[in-house]
Amino acid sequence: MTIKNKACIVGIGSTEFSRVSGRSEIHMAVDASMAACHDAGINPEEIDGAVKFGTAGQNCTEFTTETDVARCLGIRNLRYFVEAPWGGGACCATVLHAALAVANGMANYVLCFRSLKPASGTVRYGRPTRVPIDAHWSYTMPFGFASPTSWVAMITRRWMHDTGATNDQLGWVAIVCRENAARNPRAIFYGRPMTMEDYYKSQMMCDPFRINDTCLENDGSVALIVTTPERAKHLKQKPAYIVGAAEATAWDSYCMTSYYRDYIGIQEMEETGKELWKQTGLSPKNMDVVQFYDAFTSLVPMQMEALGFVKVGEGGPFCEGGDRIRPTGELPINTAGGMLSEAYIHGMNLITEGVRQIRGTAITQIKNVEHVLVTGGLGVPTSALILGQGR
Amino acid sequence: MALELNKRYLQYFYEPVAESFEEGFWQAIKQKRLVFQRCKKCKEFLHPPRPMCYKCHSYDLEWVESSGKGKIYSWVVFTREVHPLYRVPFEVVLVDMEEKGVRLISNMAEGKPEDLYFGMPVEVVFMPINDEWSLPWFRPAKK
Repeated sequence: MTIKNKACIVGIGSTEFSRVSGRSEIHMAVDASMAACHDAGINPEEIDGAVKFGTAGQNCTEFTTETDVARCLGIRNLRYFVEAPWGGGACCATVLHAALAVANGMANYVLCFRSLKPASGTVRYGRPTRVPIDAHWSYTMPFGFASPTSWVAMITRRWMHDTGATNDQLGWVAIVCRENAARNPRAIFYGRPMTMEDYYKSQMMCDPFRINDTCLENDGSVALIVTTPERAKHLKQKPAYIVGAAEATAWDSYCMTSYYRDYIGIQEMEETGKELWKQTGLSPKNMDVVQFYDAFTSLVPMQMEALGFVKVGEGGPFCEGGDRIRPTGELPINTAGGMLSEAYIHGMNLITEGVRQIRGTAITQIKNVEHVLVTGGLGVPTSALILGQGR
Repeated sequence: MALELNKRYLQYFYEPVAESFEEGFWQAIKQKRLVFQRCKKCKEFLHPPRPMCYKCHSYDLEWVESSGKGKIYSWVVFTREVHPLYRVPFEVVLVDMEEKGVRLISNMAEGKPEDLYFGMPVEVVFMPINDEWSLPWFRPAKK
């Protein structure tokens, strides 16, 4: 038994993506949730389930609770609520848990949401502020090893060494995402494409990563509504069916610094992929467009390898020149600009773009989309999701 | 060059804390000794430490003195400051220790970022941070 086509995403909503939102996380979560309800054509009072982002280790990464949202939206009571943990690793898992709930009658309409204020709020990602003093980080922080950029840079340098991937190839990932964002009015980088020269000129943050290898830091919120196909029939939008969804840890997963196993790669995504392909009977060649979790450029080719789109060592060359990952290529990626160039909402904006690709309403719409793969954050236990047309 | 601390910001040093089963590791470091946890029964090294051997499920664990020698497995170079205590540029290295399966995140006490290479032999050197703490950093191994 699988969850194939037993649940679907029927509403998507988001705030604007900005550097200064001028309002609190809760406020943005409410705005995105209302937008998702309007998009779906449901009254917010009909929501009876919620999935929020949970914690990553002892880092509190989501400050807006389901009750914050419920009391603002006039939801009388929730009868199903759960947290999906591990920061960006949670994004597709929120949909997994929502799908399980509606498919089993635990809830009728589940709201999945994420609200972030790292650009203008008090907690900035990539800065060692409010990092909990705990045993886990004691192996990391006392050495000044204190930013997500540096943690992923460590695995990236080793991966580049082992596979022969080049900085140019990472540059092409950044350039293609920027091209996609340049067409997308919602994107922070709307109207601002980038050349290879721009890529190389950008500041080196933590070698081997330049600032253009790293995702945006912005305020914003995204919300999704998940329900059953039966209920979806009476709603406004064409449903994006959940063909499969999976989450996984891997051998010796260790928050952001899984450095104590043989190979310091993204084995969590390998495991997630195995589960997803087994669950759905699909394979990479069935995916018409992919929204890869792109907190850092290298994670795109690394995931291509981990998920079996290409063999190990071929991920970097696949991105070379950008043509194969452009909208016209054999594997279009991150069609709204991804987190490198649209906005960083911990992967939730990758899911909304996946839904638009299924509906046929994306700004950079790929033709004849049957299946969309969306993936979750790396360096942590993660998740992935295949959306489809319900056939 | 290596890592230079800006001691004006010493108050922001992240003082290591330990779970009960990790105290042996950090207590030894305070005494400028590098020890790793090992299962007495199956001899598997366990790092970062665990309350029980994951392999044979024995609770009979010991602290074993490290040779202090290892090889660079990967590294990064901070070129933009994220923490004022740590002057950029500086390296963070990931060292494959001689003890099988043990890796350490650390800093370089000597040398330049451009001199690092994969498999570079390094050895531990304790660097005093404040009155209480010294940390195991690395330098190119003496021939």
